[in-house]
Amino acid sequence: MSIQQKQQDWVKAAKNAERTAMALRALLWIVLLSGVLLSLAPFYLMFVMSLKTPGEVANTTVWELPRVMQWVNYEKVLTNPNAPFILFFRNSLIISGLGTLGVLLSSSMVAYGFARLKFPGRDRLFVLLLSTMMLPGIVTMVPQYVLWKYLGWVDTFYPLIVPAFFGGGAYNIFLLRQFLMGIPRDIDEAALLDGANHATIFWKFMMPNMGPALATVGIFSFIYNWKDFQGPLIILNSPEHQTLELGLQTYRAMNQNQWELLMAGSVIIMIPIIILFLVGQRYFVKGIVMTGIK
Amino acid sequence: MGSHRVSMMKTRFLHVAACFLLLAIACLSTAADKIIRLSVWDGDKALETIRAVCKQFESENPGVKVKIENYEYQLYHQKMIITYAAGVAPDVAMMDTTHYQFLATRGALLPLNTFFAASPGFDIKEFYEPIVKSYTFRDNIYILPRDIAPIGLIYYNKKMFEEAGLPMPDGNWTWDFKERPELKEKDFLWVCKHFTKQDKDGKYIQWGYAPGWPAMQADMYALQLGAPVYDDYAEPTKVQANAPMRVTAFQFAADFANKLHLAPSNSEAAGALMMTTQQMFVQKKIAMYQNGIWEVPNMRKMLKPGSPEWFDWDICLAPAYAGKDGTPVRKFTTGGSGYAIMSTTKNPDIAWKLTKFLSGPPGMIAMAKAGIAQPAIRKLALQPGIWLPGPNTPLEEQFPKNRIATDEAVPYVVFDPSSQFGISVSDRVNKGLEILWNGQTTAEKLLGENQKQAQDRLDVLRKQENLPPFNWTLGGLFALGLVIGILFYVYKPEFGKKLTNLEKSESRSAYQFLFPWIIGLIVFALGPMLLALLMAFADWDIIAPAKWRGLDNFREAFTNDPTFYKSLTVTLIYTVFSVGMGIFGSMGLALLLNQKVKGVQLYRTLYYIPSITSAVAGALIWMRVFNPDKGLLNYVLYGPEGKWALGKALSVWIMGDVTKPVDWFGNESTALPALIIMSLWGIGGGTVIFLAGLQGIPTYYYEAATLDGAGIWKRFKSITFPMLTPTIFFSAITGLIGAFQAFTQAFVISNGTGAPNDATRFYVFHIFGTAFQSARMGYASALGWVLFVIIMIVTLVQMRMSKRWVYYEAEAK
Repeated sequence: MSIQQKQQDWVKAAKNAERTAMALRALLWIVLLSGVLLSLAPFYLMFVMSLKTPGEVANTTVWELPRVMQWVNYEKVLTNPNAPFILFFRNSLIISGLGTLGVLLSSSMVAYGFARLKFPGRDRLFVLLLSTMMLPGIVTMVPQYVLWKYLGWVDTFYPLIVPAFFGGGAYNIFLLRQFLMGIPRDIDEAALLDGANHATIFWKFMMPNMGPALATVGIFSFIYNWKDFQGPLIILNSPEHQTLELGLQTYRAMNQNQWELLMAGSVIIMIPIIILFLVGQRYFVKGIVMTGIK
Repeated sequence: MGSHRVSMMKTRFLHVAACFLLLAIACLSTAADKIIRLSVWDGDKALETIRAVCKQFESENPGVKVKIENYEYQLYHQKMIITYAAGVAPDVAMMDTTHYQFLATRGALLPLNTFFAASPGFDIKEFYEPIVKSYTFRDNIYILPRDIAPIGLIYYNKKMFEEAGLPMPDGNWTWDFKERPELKEKDFLWVCKHFTKQDKDGKYIQWGYAPGWPAMQADMYALQLGAPVYDDYAEPTKVQANAPMRVTAFQFAADFANKLHLAPSNSEAAGALMMTTQQMFVQKKIAMYQNGIWEVPNMRKMLKPGSPEWFDWDICLAPAYAGKDGTPVRKFTTGGSGYAIMSTTKNPDIAWKLTKFLSGPPGMIAMAKAGIAQPAIRKLALQPGIWLPGPNTPLEEQFPKNRIATDEAVPYVVFDPSSQFGISVSDRVNKGLEILWNGQTTAEKLLGENQKQAQDRLDVLRKQENLPPFNWTLGGLFALGLVIGILFYVYKPEFGKKLTNLEKSESRSAYQFLFPWIIGLIVFALGPMLLALLMAFADWDIIAPAKWRGLDNFREAFTNDPTFYKSLTVTLIYTVFSVGMGIFGSMGLALLLNQKVKGVQLYRTLYYIPSITSAVAGALIWMRVFNPDKGLLNYVLYGPEGKWALGKALSVWIMGDVTKPVDWFGNESTALPALIIMSLWGIGGGTVIFLAGLQGIPTYYYEAATLDGAGIWKRFKSITFPMLTPTIFFSAITGLIGAFQAFTQAFVISNGTGAPNDATRFYVFHIFGTAFQSARMGYASALGWVLFVIIMIVTLVQMRMSKRWVYYEAEAK
């Protein structure tokens, strides 16, 4: 075989490989795109249905557009006196906001204690902390209800906010501790030599450096609180105390089969969370990465 | 010094926190008025009316504000029980026969007769007597009736009757299992048959009749055939759920739709059309439907005279059973309700005033004029212009004309059995009826099983009345022992260690930082855990004092609670498949996204969005995706014309009928798979984790492998997969813990019922129902501990096994 022939073979092979690669790329592109369509189709369905008339919901296919956009459906949902969505929204905001504040304050404190300080019993306390992650919420939910009852906290926001100020969740503590352990120790050592105490180190040096981690924890816990259904379902009774998530189910129970309204309600409840996600996406992904690969 | 600063910091912390809390609470509390809380279950129009009546009450009683809270009927009574238990019950509560005895025996309701003497002008004798009687328990009246509402009314479409050439019904008709052509319009089945229509494919598109809800028809037939559910309604000892006549009645009600096609079947109505009976009536899919009088405002709203939808309609009495000996038997179940006063009220006198106002002329007249309810005071009911149309009644309030039917129905009314034992028995009597309506089982089989379960439950409850009280002192000591044990575990290795001053001060600071968590751990985690452990041995509804039940809670779970096994099985299947497929899917997607594709960021975002969406909204959307008739999935399977072979094959295989599209969430065998598929919508969350794992693999591994001539598969097998095992392990652990606790989607999709036949009742859902719907806190705690032990074992086994297959780079080096 001459060298020329060999070269030709190589060129051929390279061209073939290129062609296969292109075909593969196209295939990949198609697969990914159809996957995206599949995962977004339910949203489209929701939005379109929220703008239909009851007749159109009953008689048109799911992806047909409404003849006239029924924006009035949104008005109906928002002005129903028996399911005050505006109030639900405020309640969700208060609970998620204060809950997140509590998580940020207390979990960062506790994480600092575990990450940067030595004390008797630390490792076993940390094991205790991690094992609470395994604890199914429902086991404590029943006895906690008894506790709320004796505190007179049933049907108030306290049970959904106060616990956040006392620890802020094993998961968050764990995450922040991992982050804090990655900050070089020379800063605090120098500060300690200068006579600073741990409170100063925590506030002056650690907190400012924890920005991204706190943002991650903050967004996570805000979304967690916003999406929480079981907690409000058990604790909040009266309609004006309910959160959006619970209120939507209440609304649904009262308006069986008025699908255009249910879908309008669904759109309303999802908008804030999607905006928050898009804005804070960077931190979100970072947080997942941090917890995911230990 | 240092600790001083810390504590100052902490006080500042707490100040900020407290300020925020106060701010939040300030938003909630208002006013110095006396607030009377009123709980109701009602539709929009009724609520509007009640609101107006309450406004009137407020203006007549200055300084009193009435706050109305509306709940869905299905959850209403449990809400009253649980809010009473928690000390946040309303002052005045709408109530019907179903549960008041349960509440009354626990002292939750005030006997109303104590108020009668001090109320001049009030005479209980003015009320329909049978209703007052049914609200009387052990010589006390607990509910003041506001209306009578026999569920024995047929709403009929006059135009459809005209078009079918039938005379208008007068309520003087009978049913007798088969069509009786010789009786003509006096035979209900003969009339119904005139309206049944099929399209050219054999699909049923129009029917004669539909009950307001499926069990209504069966319950009425059972009453008329003489098959009561209990041997004694006040003090039951025997359940008779599968008495032969009851089985006959229920089977006939199921066949009425499924075999005779005289009514839309459950899957045709609730499933395919996803319509209420009212909507079907208005859209002329059915000529008649049965319900109570409370549907009138809805009808008036949906059928406005002059609007294109409008047709003339009226009401009449539902048919009687023809009778074995030729004498018709007419009996109806009844709705109807009144108001009761909860014993926790701080203002019993104002509460009574409001009760009397709502269940008296002002309330009754307003409700009657709105067309919602016939007054429970007969004098008012028969006076023209209030309930019966008068000369000045406006046009849209003239429908229905035949309003006297409600009064005519009163003598035939039989009240629901009520029981001081609460709902756990009747829950079991009525379990899984939806699969009977879907034609997936027979009445004999289902009711036979229900009979056994209900009788078991009743026996347990009757025995339980003499359990010894729970010894909290002993329990407390036991809990203390456990706490000491935990402290011992944490600090044992520290005994005898001497700390330097520096170490001491550092440890002091550390504990100050840990302080919030330690308090939280004790108050919100460990304490409740221990309390749950104690409660697991108790019988406790947190109203009456707890009783000692020993190991019986656990015994009940394993030997006498079919829902326990069912929910555990459902949960295990869900967990295995959703976690397994989820991990597989996330990994696959991550591998694709890890290729050098343009716009990976965007893809990642788009795939991720479903996993952060609201669970309730998500569940609602997926109900539409899986909807048999207009759903996205069936559109793909059956094609735009509904004729594709794949869909038809599925129909035959799953529904057993080629004309019925698969009702995914309504079918016992497909509801759980549908939930699993739904859970895969969220794989984007796992994908991001796997992507991070993939990006953590050094590229030179692949370069080296390629140089060695390893192909794609070889590279995956010996580099990618081993390097991903820690991620897989992590996903498996967290996924399992999460999936074991699945709740929200199933709760929303089945609307809190676990339908069909508990096929979607996850384990946590079962615990929730036990604790917060049946108020069995002790038993629920026992169930919770069982779950805890299961999760612990599964997690430990996984960790043990992980040593064999999870590859940690650090170890290898």
